[in-house]
Amino acid sequence: MKNILLACSSGMSTSLLVTKMEQHAKSIGDEVRIWAVGQDQAKKEMAQADVVLIGPQMSFLKGELQKEADAYGIKVDVIDMMAYGMADGKKAYEQALSLIGEK
Amino acid sequence: MDKIQLESLTEEQISFQLILHSGNARSKIIQSLREYRNGKVEEADELISQAEADLSIAHDIHFQMVQKEASGEKTSFSLLLMHSEDHLMSTLTMKELVKEVLAIFKSKDSK
Repeated sequence: MKNILLACSSGMSTSLLVTKMEQHAKSIGDEVRIWAVGQDQAKKEMAQADVVLIGPQMSFLKGELQKEADAYGIKVDVIDMMAYGMADGKKAYEQALSLIGEK
Repeated sequence: MDKIQLESLTEEQISFQLILHSGNARSKIIQSLREYRNGKVEEADELISQAEADLSIAHDIHFQMVQKEASGEKTSFSLLLMHSEDHLMSTLTMKELVKEVLAIFKSKDSK
């Protein structure tokens, strides 16, 4: 079971991306938990995650969040621009998997 | 980046494009203040220029949407679209303010 946390300033756009990522994961038979939160919640919730993906509007927080995430040994990255801009769940999911792989 | 044509995107993707480009700008604007704080004035200015380029992409998408509606073609309303408008407008405000703030800092720091 993989746990993927998405965060953006209010958790709105990434909520939609969650649905698309879940659909893709399901279609290839992966068991996952993917959920979205607003930026203030991200630090609290990352303890349960294997990877954290953040929206472009909070990429300036990447360093700060990665510092926190180091305590759990997980990676934080900004969602790929193409994946985000096209609301491409498959691409975002593959990005999350490759980040978990690098753990 | 090439100009984005609305026709090639779904309504949802249009909203995501607005948030993406405003969002990139927002991050660069905040980063610009941080660079200035660390004494890196040129880097701060460069980030503001980049943010303006990002915002002009978002603005162009928005302008096409306005044109479309003005020509009688309705855009259907969604909370996501409203949210993306919010992103664009708040980032535009932020950019104007940060530019002014940097100008004030610069004049004070050069004295």
